Amino acid sequence: MKLTNIVLPVVALIISAFSVQAEHVSDPSLVAKGAKVYSENCGRCHNARPAEEYTKREWSVVIPHMRAKSHMTGKEALAVEAFLDSTLTADVRSDNQDSNKDTVQRTGAELVAAFGCQGCHKIQGEGGALGPGLDTIVADKGEAFVMKKLVDPKFNNSASAMPKYPMSDADTKAIVNFLKGE
Amino acid sequence: MKIKSLSAAIATALVLSTGTVSAGEGSSLDVGRLAISGYGDVTLISQDNLKDANGNNVQNNVQARFIPIFLFQMSEKIHIESELEISTTPEGETEVVLEYLNMHYFLNDNTILTAGKFLLPFGQFGANLHPSWINKGASNPGIYGGHGGNGSLGGVTGIMGDTGVNVSNTWSLGDAGKVFTDFYVVSGPRQEAGDHGGGVDMDVKKGDNNASFAYGGRVAYAFLPQWEIGVSYYTGDYSDDGDLNYNAYNIDFNWIGSFASVRGEIFGSTAETEGEDEPVPPEEHGEDWIKDFDKEGWYIQGTWQARQLGKAWLNPIELVVRYSDSSSDFDGSISPDFEEDAGRMGSRMYYGVNYWLEPSAVLKFGAESTSIDNEGGGLGELVDDRIFLQLAFGF
Repeated sequence: MKLTNIVLPVVALIISAFSVQAEHVSDPSLVAKGAKVYSENCGRCHNARPAEEYTKREWSVVIPHMRAKSHMTGKEALAVEAFLDSTLTADVRSDNQDSNKDTVQRTGAELVAAFGCQGCHKIQGEGGALGPGLDTIVADKGEAFVMKKLVDPKFNNSASAMPKYPMSDADTKAIVNFLKGE
Repeated sequence: MKIKSLSAAIATALVLSTGTVSAGEGSSLDVGRLAISGYGDVTLISQDNLKDANGNNVQNNVQARFIPIFLFQMSEKIHIESELEISTTPEGETEVVLEYLNMHYFLNDNTILTAGKFLLPFGQFGANLHPSWINKGASNPGIYGGHGGNGSLGGVTGIMGDTGVNVSNTWSLGDAGKVFTDFYVVSGPRQEAGDHGGGVDMDVKKGDNNASFAYGGRVAYAFLPQWEIGVSYYTGDYSDDGDLNYNAYNIDFNWIGSFASVRGEIFGSTAETEGEDEPVPPEEHGEDWIKDFDKEGWYIQGTWQARQLGKAWLNPIELVVRYSDSSSDFDGSISPDFEEDAGRMGSRMYYGVNYWLEPSAVLKFGAESTSIDNEGGGLGELVDDRIFLQLAFGF
């Protein structure tokens, strides 16, 4: 009887594991949270790795491995996956090709929020510490530097984990203006 | 009664399952099944008077390792992972070692059950920091024996992996505070061959030499993203008849800043060993004894990224300093198997310059000086200086 009491819950748990549909949340609001979790957890052991090192499908398998390694909760792991996915998914980007001419240009604040910049950078006291604070970045480094960094994050640091977003000139200008406080 | 038990079990499983993160409709995320990650390295070690296992002179020593990790997602709740270490031996042959093979069961949002062979959550270096692209040095801290590059120093223990079951939990305390817990039951250590008890063998083997399991765990508090401190404990019987115990503790900490980091561990172990006094007269049996054999050690490591200086050409450069120290209470009164380890206690200083080619690829240049200072081991003072050049990559 004792053996039954032990074995049955184990069997039931295994059965329940296969009963769950393999669905994932794809909620853009998760991106900022995921960027924060990514910034706070990856760097505990190693350099944060840019999203482009794996495909979306590979990330969906790698993230559970890292969840166990870093003690992320399931919700945090899902948010990180959403963040990484967002950097590899065209639908959160302002496409810099001419195919989306009708798309309304987003403001700098909207782009900063959509890309989860504050997951790693502090802006007006809010945000992560993986990257430098951005309040005076334009004044300190110059507009040209910031625009180049947005387009090619590794141009000045081969170890930079900053995601590479294909932004239009209008996007980079909007973000720079936002960082300048305009 | 059986129906009652079954109902209770199913109800429990369903309740626990509902804690798992569910998904929304219309997800645009792709879900994969298989991924391969891992790491590898090529290391040149230059050392005066370097000798191989047979005592032959070696002018330089180049080692190469490839360590793939196979990840398989069976479902949202079950994840399987396996790591192999493929390396070249001094004889030029290829060696393959199963580092771990286990299944994670994501019980709910906070709890993970792991079954199989896994790296024990004992301290931080053995469980998470030893992969060469993560390890800031080209060698291991002096308190860790084995797994390459340890030279003359014995270490307090090897990186510990074993076969069993682990339950890990994550508890959130406010926005930044976290408590991590791991508790495991594993097969346990074995007794090395030898007279008077022999040494403690931590290598994982099929089966165990005694009926007892080993137990352990780690409890850590993290104030993200900067601070984490953990306390680990491990205990298990290792002798054939289960009457000799091995136990170890570890206190680990880390501080991670934007440009710098400081990590360290304090490590201690106690192994009971048995023997008998010299009989008087010689034809009689001496008095049996059991003594504790203690080994202790610690290391501290600091890193600093030169990008803080604001010069573009310095951005990929990182400086590393690490000091390790270990000691034992060997006084010559216990068995020869322990004597060998006791003779390899000492200190190690490591200086390194890392050049990051990518976030997960690094060229390391390191210089290390190890001083064996346990005179009780009968070796006197022995200096062991080495230079490393290592290319390490994660993939």
